[in-house]
Amino acid sequence: MALSDKAKTALVLASIVAIFFFGIMLKYWILR
Amino acid sequence: MSAVVHDDHGHGDHHGDHAHHPSGVMRWISTTNHKDIGTLYLWFSGTMFLLGGVLALGIRAELFTPGLQVWNPEFFNQLTTMHGVIMVFGAIMPAFVGFANWQVPMMIGAPDMAFARLNNWSFWLLPFAASLLVISFFVPGGATGAGWTLYAPLTVQMGPGMDLAIFALHIMGASSIMGSINIITTILNMRAPGMTMMKMPLFVWSWLITAYLLIAVMPVLAGAVTMTLTDRHFGTSFFNAAGGGDPVMYQHIFWFFGHPEVYIMILPAFGIVSQILPAFARKPLFGYSSMVYATASIAILSFIVWAHHMFTVGMPAAGLLFFMYATVLIAVPTGVKVFNWLATMWKGSMTFETPMLWAIGFLFVFTMGGFTGLILAIMPVDIQLQDTYYVVAHFHYVLVAGSLFAIFGGVYFWLPKWSGRMYDEKLGKWHFWLSLVFFNVTFFPMHFLGLAGMPRRIPDYALQFADYNLLASIGAFGFGFSQLIFFYVVLKCTVFAQGAKAPANPWEGADTLEWTHLPSPAPYHSFETPPAVR
Repeated sequence: MALSDKAKTALVLASIVAIFFFGIMLKYWILR
Repeated sequence: MSAVVHDDHGHGDHHGDHAHHPSGVMRWISTTNHKDIGTLYLWFSGTMFLLGGVLALGIRAELFTPGLQVWNPEFFNQLTTMHGVIMVFGAIMPAFVGFANWQVPMMIGAPDMAFARLNNWSFWLLPFAASLLVISFFVPGGATGAGWTLYAPLTVQMGPGMDLAIFALHIMGASSIMGSINIITTILNMRAPGMTMMKMPLFVWSWLITAYLLIAVMPVLAGAVTMTLTDRHFGTSFFNAAGGGDPVMYQHIFWFFGHPEVYIMILPAFGIVSQILPAFARKPLFGYSSMVYATASIAILSFIVWAHHMFTVGMPAAGLLFFMYATVLIAVPTGVKVFNWLATMWKGSMTFETPMLWAIGFLFVFTMGGFTGLILAIMPVDIQLQDTYYVVAHFHYVLVAGSLFAIFGGVYFWLPKWSGRMYDEKLGKWHFWLSLVFFNVTFFPMHFLGLAGMPRRIPDYALQFADYNLLASIGAFGFGFSQLIFFYVVLKCTVFAQGAKAPANPWEGADTLEWTHLPSPAPYHSFETPPAVR
């Protein structure tokens, strides 16, 4: 299934959100 | 890239509903129309502005004279905290998202936002979050009183009101993130043919950059409050010193969000002012591309200045110097913007209708807030002024005279396009002048209070601070009651549909697509066929 340009843009942005959200918690949970 | 995407596969409900869209309350609950959702955001913001304003007047009533007379100290802390949280997350941010919903599609020649249902959801999360904040006043222990920054260790110790605030922030954060994804996707994918990036109106540029900031920092705030939640209920010790956690670490994480958040609340204001000034100076915006680069520079720098909010926590000297110099550097792109706004007006055929008054008022008074920011950025000075009323004065000059004045200017500017009616010019001007005078009566004395050492977030104070506090409280009530004029003017144009009918373009110098290609009021569906942009 081909994704539309809009869906691709949204997926990239949602990935950035996920990286920042989980990243900040993982950083201080695991890497302390 | 810039072709308008017409969705023919059943996903584009924003096109499918125009024959049978529901009426009454269901229209507003189920709407996927960007204009309806923009209106909802703006009314929500107005309601929260009134609520936050009432809390502010509660604060100023207590501070009217020295001594404790109206509230107990615990409730006073709740007032300051909830005033901040409601104004930041409930009033200023949703107002700008309301502007984005109305204006971005019309300004780039798109038929609607990229994800219309997501847009509906983004909005309808907000009333639930706001309800949690209001309900938190009535749970045991009351609302959180930890300050809008929600610093540990207070947040680890407080009652269930803290949990409600955390959930509210989660929900508001999710709403902001979804809104930002929608705005970025719309701007990148749905511009009319010929609308290249460097032809986009400055308001659109400012929102594109703001949305990227939101995408990067709202998840960090969500992470910080999630860690606070697990510290409170699930035995972790991220910030709980009793378990080996580090409260200062919370401050670092919070301000990594918090400083870009300041620009999230001011960049769209810059965008609005950049639309208003050229329209009433009847000249193109001076230095368009430098405005774009300056906005982007401010956004990038906002990620490396966070610790200027915490100069007194005990950082190494190298850290103090780095954050001081980085902060001072922000004055350069901000100076570029102020210079360009002045140069836009230079030798222009200026007229001073209400939106222009707000924009010029913004320019004067916001810039004063910028200068006091520069003073606070100087680390040795900040160590003296940290947590004094000087800081309160500074950020109200930025957020009220900056963000709020631009919001008012934007509402007066686009109200004819949104409602199809001209607002009452005389009352608009009264609103401006009363607000400007009372704003300064309220907040200017706070500089002196701060310089004299009055701490913020206290319900009582030493006698030597009495006169300026009295003045500030009088100003605050004057400012608060002046806002009733604004709501009357808006209701007159919208709900009561009174006032002269607005022409398609009532402003001689306005040249963006919503003015040049659409009638007033803008039709429910606009630009289903994309306009040609040259």
